[in-house]
Amino acid sequence: MSETILYLIQQLINGLTIGSTYALIAIGYTMVYGIIGMINFAHGEVYMIGSYITFIVIAGLLGMGMVSLPLILFIALVISVLIASTYGWTIERVAYRPLRGTNRLIPLISAIGMSIFLQNYVVLSQGSRDIALPPMISGSWTFGDPNLFEVSFSYMQLFIWVATFITMLGLTLFISRSRMGRACRACSEDIGMTNLLGVDTNRVIAMTFIIGAALAAIAGLLLSLYYGVVNPFIGFMAGLKAFTAAVLGGIGSIPGAVLGGLILGVTEALTAAYFPSEYKDVVAFGLLILILLFRPSGLLGKPEVEKV
Amino acid sequence: MKKFTRTLLSVGTAICLYGAVAQADTIKIGLAGPATGPVAQYGDMQKIGVLAAIEQINKAGGINGMQLEGVIYDDACDPKQAVAVANKIVNDGIQHVVGHLCSSSTEPAADIYEEEGVLMITAASTSPSITEKGHQMIFRTIGLDSMQGPFAGQYVINSVKPKNMAIIHDKQQYGEGLATAVKKEVEAAGIKPVMFEGVTPGDKDFSALIAKLKKNKVDFVYYGGYHPELGLILRQSKEKGLAARFMGPEGVGNPDISKIAGAASEGLLVTLPQSFDKDPANQALVQAIVDKGEDPTGPFVFPAYSAVEVMTAAMTATGSTDTEKLADFIRSNTFKTTTGELAFNEKGDLAQFSFVVYDWHADGTKTPAK
Repeated sequence: MSETILYLIQQLINGLTIGSTYALIAIGYTMVYGIIGMINFAHGEVYMIGSYITFIVIAGLLGMGMVSLPLILFIALVISVLIASTYGWTIERVAYRPLRGTNRLIPLISAIGMSIFLQNYVVLSQGSRDIALPPMISGSWTFGDPNLFEVSFSYMQLFIWVATFITMLGLTLFISRSRMGRACRACSEDIGMTNLLGVDTNRVIAMTFIIGAALAAIAGLLLSLYYGVVNPFIGFMAGLKAFTAAVLGGIGSIPGAVLGGLILGVTEALTAAYFPSEYKDVVAFGLLILILLFRPSGLLGKPEVEKV
Repeated sequence: MKKFTRTLLSVGTAICLYGAVAQADTIKIGLAGPATGPVAQYGDMQKIGVLAAIEQINKAGGINGMQLEGVIYDDACDPKQAVAVANKIVNDGIQHVVGHLCSSSTEPAADIYEEEGVLMITAASTSPSITEKGHQMIFRTIGLDSMQGPFAGQYVINSVKPKNMAIIHDKQQYGEGLATAVKKEVEAAGIKPVMFEGVTPGDKDFSALIAKLKKNKVDFVYYGGYHPELGLILRQSKEKGLAARFMGPEGVGNPDISKIAGAASEGLLVTLPQSFDKDPANQALVQAIVDKGEDPTGPFVFPAYSAVEVMTAAMTATGSTDTEKLADFIRSNTFKTTTGELAFNEKGDLAQFSFVVYDWHADGTKTPAK
């Protein structure tokens, strides 16, 4: 294979890795929007908190002398999903439920307030500096001609792909097969009617926030293992990127969020690959503007029908 | 309710008045820099130096019979917050400031101080443009990028001799300024960098950039910026098998880079002000800082200390705290300080300042590079 193709493969691997984690975070935005038609701007902070909990748990377990990597990762995953879900639930209880039925702008502002609160709360309790973990999953496969270009695909990247795939599969099964999933779909179609038919919509909405937060915590775990560094400010940019991914794919649509995340990740990697890398964000957000101009409902979104 | 409000108001006024009375026999020195945010480490270095200086001077009887008091302001290395801090300092009636730290914060703040007649000495901002505007009230006790860049460039030309060099920066005033200065220097010697690119501060994923470095067969990278980004670049480069040596300015030279990059920080080259904490003349002071449980080894600790020394020496000599008199005195005299004999030029910069290249180690220590 020629150097150009090897290089392209490498950049696609990089892009798909970062794109899968965007997708995981984007699902949280898209589910909440799909059901109550609002953007949860505190979602990026839930991802940040998930990362922090992963760090604290892993550092604690390593400090206690635990050596089994799968066990450490499993415990970190369970604890961070549990705590982040609690945060997701609390955000709904504190910042959304009391404001349900008011003007749409009001919960939006309270979510932004929540986001600022959470960020500063973590700054105060954990400090504002970068915290680092030693690499947990190291090693990689390499292929290609070392004289031309050597493609490296790390075990960590594979781990991210597999973990994202399993999570997506689980979520799809949950939405399409379970009772709660059916209630979620019903709510997203017509929340008032669902309520009349005897479904506890408050519970469904709370569940949506919990699922979104759990996925954000999984993304937090994966990315904090991948980069090995967290600080209280990572939620903002990650949230913005995931939000872009959700809008790109069509906000309200779960397959759309996945597709949007992957497209965004690959676009960023390819931009950095063939243009100066400072244009990465320009292209990513430029893409958002183009989509909003020419296909406002996103790639897989349904055009909004005015309800009478 | 009305009565309650009135009581509250009067109590508030009384507290303010009390504050004003208490100020009379101290000289307040504003200490502006990041106390929070990703580069708060450097703010700590400045704080350690300034507070140590204030403590020593107060112990020796203060200045003109008055005690010094340090007041800390947090600009989070954010230009917008720096402007707010500068206005707050002016409103609080503080006339003497050590800070700010990040060049991009210092520059807008300096304009405010100049206009309001507040004396400012920065111990860490190295961007040349801060003193380019003909300000009278702005000084610094640290070298400039226009000194450090060429110094780093010369080291690259004479000692590293790279085949394929890349220059990366963080698009900020400090990082890009240095990167440009290095580029100019090496290009003059016939080394043409194969890449000159910016990264976004706060970014976590550099895999695309690293793949590009690998493709261009880069064997040496100069990075202009701070440690959080370079730490991740080093870490990810090692994971992706990029065999290149890295070099950076003092903005990357603190132990946190080793925490982030781990073993990948071994062999990093860093240009730093010389280690004033190793100077035998400063050992008593180093001990005093260590005794307080603080770290005297940061590159900005002693420049910050000497900023206070210069300020107070001028106060003693002129017998006044009037900032115009002080500025004139600082410009026309030399000062014996813990960072050596300091003399200032017309712009307010040091007439000379020397840098050293260090080899960084994975445990966060450094040794002078050969």
